[in-house]
Amino acid sequence: MIASAGPNLPLDVLRATGAYAGPLPIDLDKNVTTADAWMESKFAPWAPLALQAWADGDYDHLDCVIFSRADDTAQRFYYYICELQRRGLVGGPKALIFDIAMIPRASSLERTTQKVRELAELLGVDDVALENAITSSKQSAPATSPDHPVCLIAGSPMPDHRLHIAVQAAGFAPIGQTLAEYWCEGGPVIEGGTGDPAAAIACHLHEGATGPRSFGDRSALLRERLARTQARAAILWRIEEDEAQVWHLPAERRVLEESGLPHLVMTRRDWFARDGAIEEISQFLTGADI
Amino acid sequence: MSSSANPRSRKTLQCTSAATTFQKAFGKELRRRVVEDREPYAIVQADTPHELFHAMDIPIITNQWWSAYISAKQLSSRYFDAMVDKGYPANSCKYCSLGLACTLANEPETAPWGGLPTPTIMVARLTCDCIQHVFGQWSDALGSEFFPMEAPAWTEMDPNWFAHARSDWERVYQPDRIAHMVREMGDLIAVLENRTGRKFDEAKFHHLMEQINVQEGYVWEAAQAIGKAHPCPVSIGEQMTNTMIPQWHRGSDWAVAHARSFRDEVMERIEAGLGASSNEKMRLMWIGAGVWHDPGFYQALEEDPGAVFVWSMYMPFAGPAYIRDLKDKPMEALASRIASMNETLHLPPWMSGWMVSEAKRCDIDAAIMLLPPDNRLSQSGNKLTASALEAAGVPVLMVDADMVDAKIWDHNRMVGMVAEFLKEKELA
Repeated sequence: MIASAGPNLPLDVLRATGAYAGPLPIDLDKNVTTADAWMESKFAPWAPLALQAWADGDYDHLDCVIFSRADDTAQRFYYYICELQRRGLVGGPKALIFDIAMIPRASSLERTTQKVRELAELLGVDDVALENAITSSKQSAPATSPDHPVCLIAGSPMPDHRLHIAVQAAGFAPIGQTLAEYWCEGGPVIEGGTGDPAAAIACHLHEGATGPRSFGDRSALLRERLARTQARAAILWRIEEDEAQVWHLPAERRVLEESGLPHLVMTRRDWFARDGAIEEISQFLTGADI
Repeated sequence: MSSSANPRSRKTLQCTSAATTFQKAFGKELRRRVVEDREPYAIVQADTPHELFHAMDIPIITNQWWSAYISAKQLSSRYFDAMVDKGYPANSCKYCSLGLACTLANEPETAPWGGLPTPTIMVARLTCDCIQHVFGQWSDALGSEFFPMEAPAWTEMDPNWFAHARSDWERVYQPDRIAHMVREMGDLIAVLENRTGRKFDEAKFHHLMEQINVQEGYVWEAAQAIGKAHPCPVSIGEQMTNTMIPQWHRGSDWAVAHARSFRDEVMERIEAGLGASSNEKMRLMWIGAGVWHDPGFYQALEEDPGAVFVWSMYMPFAGPAYIRDLKDKPMEALASRIASMNETLHLPPWMSGWMVSEAKRCDIDAAIMLLPPDNRLSQSGNKLTASALEAAGVPVLMVDADMVDAKIWDHNRMVGMVAEFLKEKELA
């Protein structure tokens, strides 16, 4: 079985193997002990949990984990695991890195294409299987209209639905990504029937609008999400460890202000929401003038 | 919070004064070219191919050098506060963003040089998640163009990379990574030629690469001698100055000549039995960037209890990171130099493998490691390196501090912490 860790991965290649187990499961209640001695404080909060789980053998049922270079925590995690395995300090599945290159330049696109081909070859996936995987990915569930006004939760991917529950309790329909959903994000539909499915996947990845290494316009993305979800309120929630997207905070604030929507900006927050975030959200939405 | 009882480091080498004098004059000259004459210039990260700019005679301002310059003028807190006022969070990565903060503060009256004019281009390798955002926004604020370079994954993991970097660099740094960087450098040269009208001269570049090998060879030779010498003849402050200043000008006649004089002076001191301290009792390793705002920190414990910082990365890095057998492929050799500069200092197994080897080579008793709280890149690899050093018998103290943000640095507390650690480990 294969798991993935990080955004902007060629999920269709993984699905085409028939052995894709989904995103690396993160046990939020994991007690981090030994991993603290190996990993520094500024890693995304999922990383020490996953590293501890790796050390504890929780991932031993997996054959390999594919890490993304499009996320600094994920790519460093890959090097850490390789080193810990080399030193004999952990066992577990084989670690692989998908070396995506996202700079809007021909050389980066070609490198990404080459890396998609290499991964497909390594995993024994041919073009027919890839094409089938692309076709299957297009068949997504139909969108449903929420019964309540939408509150968009933008910013850092959340650990689970704990913030969603707070939003729901205030009478709103929450829309926002958990970490697992973010890692499995498909984005725009990949073109099928091109005769070169690896190149089509690479093109899609290279142009990805989300993820810390994307060259997409964050303000435009937020504006588009507000419009697409028909949000009536918005929460911009960023965690302490977010060091990439946070550079767009001033621009995102402007988007929210220009939208005229009631909004709450929460920065440098605890990923586990142990910092009163749930109460603040409840208070904000209760008082929101919708 | 910041206090410094010993703000200036002591200088013992003639060439240290020569280097700082040269750099001051160079700073004036650079300012003249960039600010007064409005020559085309570039703002670049330290781990980008400066050699291309040198070969084209395009002035560069290195982000890290500019940060250190702002920091040395005690302006970092002011500009970081200004950035927070503009809506950025206070915990943003400090080391790479001080230049952006200075630009956003828009205070010509306080900014060095009155602030920077619009550069022709800004270049960064994307070695972390934040640098593309910092450089993207900085180039927007300055009205410039950003040329990012990929930092591809490195799957050829050789913990002894430093032993093979000079001659077997194609294998060590991975052929596909080298080829990718060569291609990007070709694109960069085309952009530079187009924007500046200056031509890339291959013969000049080849000569420059040869000269860099000569220069770094002197530094490497001196580093080898310092590692063996008891007492350590030169403080790490002077090691840094005499390595880094010529490295900003690498391959120039001055830089090569300076590296030779430095090597000679180091050898003379070793021959004469002169030490950085007259009371060397233990040898320390400094792991991390230099604490630019308190250079006197490194010498505070030299005489009592005789704790001498013998090693910091800057000088010994000259050998494995810079020297390359050119094999008539200077562009590829340069790519191999640039493609892993950051990785070797911040990721296992390269960082840990090299530092354990260096600790043994330099007879190190203990290591002090900088752990900047807001900078994943600078933190990265530290704990695994610390555990590797400890496994090799070298105790490690990790210090939570930032190399440019003076706010969380207290000289007396930091010196006290090191002294206490050495006592605890029964070294002092």
